[in-house]
Amino acid sequence: MSDNLTLPAQQGSTGASTEALLKVEGLTKHFPIYGGFPIKRKVGAVQAVDNVDLTVGVGESVGLVGESGCGKSTTGRLITRLLEPTGGKIEYAGQDITHAKRKQLAPVRSEIQMIFQDPYSSLNPRQTVGTIIKSPMEVNGINPAGGREKRVRELLELVGLNPEHYNRFPHEFSGGQRQRIGVARALALNPKLIVADEPVSALDVSIQAQVVNLLQKVQEEMGIAFLFIAHDLAVVRHFSQRVAVMYLGKVVEVGDRDSIYNRPRHPYTHALLSAVPEVAMDDESENRERIRLAGDVPSPISPPSGCRFRTRCWKAQDKCATEEPPLVQIGGNTAGHLTACHFPEEPTVAARSEDVVLDPALKTLENDGDVTKD
Amino acid sequence: MLLEVRDLHVEFRTRDGVAKAVNGVTYGVDEGETLAVLGESGSGKSVTAQAVMGILDTPPGRITGGEVVFQGRDLLTLKEEERRRIRGAEMAMVFQDALSALNPVLTVGDQLAEMFTVHRGMSRKDARAKAVELMDRVRIPAARERVRQYPHQFSGGMRQRIMIAMAIALEPALIIADEPTTALDVTVQAQVMELLAELQREYRMGLILITHDLGVVADVADRIAVMYAGRIVESAPVHDIYKAPAHPYTRGLLDSIPRLDHKGRELYAIKGLPPNLTRIPPGCPFHPRCPLARDVCTTDDPPLYEVSGTRGSACHFWRECLDG
Repeated sequence: MSDNLTLPAQQGSTGASTEALLKVEGLTKHFPIYGGFPIKRKVGAVQAVDNVDLTVGVGESVGLVGESGCGKSTTGRLITRLLEPTGGKIEYAGQDITHAKRKQLAPVRSEIQMIFQDPYSSLNPRQTVGTIIKSPMEVNGINPAGGREKRVRELLELVGLNPEHYNRFPHEFSGGQRQRIGVARALALNPKLIVADEPVSALDVSIQAQVVNLLQKVQEEMGIAFLFIAHDLAVVRHFSQRVAVMYLGKVVEVGDRDSIYNRPRHPYTHALLSAVPEVAMDDESENRERIRLAGDVPSPISPPSGCRFRTRCWKAQDKCATEEPPLVQIGGNTAGHLTACHFPEEPTVAARSEDVVLDPALKTLENDGDVTKD
Repeated sequence: MLLEVRDLHVEFRTRDGVAKAVNGVTYGVDEGETLAVLGESGSGKSVTAQAVMGILDTPPGRITGGEVVFQGRDLLTLKEEERRRIRGAEMAMVFQDALSALNPVLTVGDQLAEMFTVHRGMSRKDARAKAVELMDRVRIPAARERVRQYPHQFSGGMRQRIMIAMAIALEPALIIADEPTTALDVTVQAQVMELLAELQREYRMGLILITHDLGVVADVADRIAVMYAGRIVESAPVHDIYKAPAHPYTRGLLDSIPRLDHKGRELYAIKGLPPNLTRIPPGCPFHPRCPLARDVCTTDDPPLYEVSGTRGSACHFWRECLDG
């Protein structure tokens, strides 16, 4: 297991500090399942997040990618302490907040803010925009110079909305504008870390770019660290200095942006990148590898033994079923690029001599690991 | 042409007035061809498809003009009974949200078999055998057992395969897929998209693929029609559009995708918001957001200019846009 491994902080090319703001070690969240009759008892657990290590440096933006059900949103909610971790440790600015009480958390809460995916359900329809953005300040008893209302108007202007819209209600705004309100609310307390859970995936393409630019401006100019949770690999590549790839509750690969996107080692990262339909502006980008996985992500209630990806992996061997691969820096990787795989792939995304296409008719791949090989 | 939509107009009555959802859309699909209809929400891409399928809610919707010619007949003049015979048998639809499109209280086998008992008058036993065959066809593992299961027992990708199985059941000449993979994860999306493309090739069906995702389009489509404010603003073979868009809206969409060589830099963003369909701006509907807009754009609605034999662009300054 990877308990003793900590991720080196910032390895990116930008000038962010290497000081860790948030340090997560062995973070685990199991949701119990109750069943049975007549007396309900615990019959199992959804292992949503299992032993995740993650570091976010001061002012750094870290992307967390993976498919639905991989635990990326749960990780975000654990970090903001909206959920109580089952195990592991969350350290924020040197302070252990894993099981901190409400009172102990109060000062930290204002420094960690969240932006939600759905700009419709995350704003109270009965409150005006002014009230929505003002309430975090009221709750935390913050009185900015010039009054809260003035601060709200500044924030509205900062996120590209008309300060005159202070008294309007959320339904008067479009999806993109609502997401800007969400950003303004997150900025109201001058946070040091923003956990953004799929902040642009509910928006139209032309509006997505506007919000991504706004978040980038916020990140760079105000030096706020971001944990950017998304399934859209192109947006994450654009936004994040470091990227962690999750699969079924585990981080399978983490590294700086170039390592993950150009020199991935984990077969799942390869498959994920190759599945993204990319707009080919010229003919040379046709030269990408093509990997098509079979089936869906297995259930997190009873995840596969050993490596959790092995049931869909074309390189899986007996060892993968018995031994869980640790998240380590494997030979040929740059510092800070960690991969959890026994049989890593070549560090390239170029086309292979033969495509990896797993026949969906094959029910299990457990017995024969080398169906297709490059 | 298998299907030709000519100058279609659709309106919706709303509390704020009449929303003009579709304003003179013209497009066509040949057999064996894939046409991608690309647009943001509110561009009228789905409403056009619903009008073609004959599943538009009327009221509040109303088709105020145009023709939908399918295999030589104008569907809009047919009686509902005749249209119902065409729907499912001659043209079928794949919806975005398979969970709400499938009946939750019937097994998937029953729903697939119903296609054959209702449209083909088969016995229940034969229809059931056909259902298993179809599930095999869309590569659902253990089809014989799973035919007795309910929609909620399937994963999202498998449910979408069942939707596809239902669509191809009667071997229609045309399939309309409305955002078929939007709700799916990328690795599953790739599987489903390839399945759909493969079946389309095999049966030589016409396919209208409605999507907002430029990437999905690039992989499978032959032609693209870009919609904005209920109009086609650009129509072209897929490779031409990616090489050099001839409409500033298309160019804006392409530029706003985060790309490898642009990482870290500010993304190009189309300014402003899509228009309110009850108050579409006069002249070119895109002019308030357009970087090339001049005075003429605020007064004259551009027709679909012919750029080449196979391309059209509804921009007065398409030459300028084409040159970058």
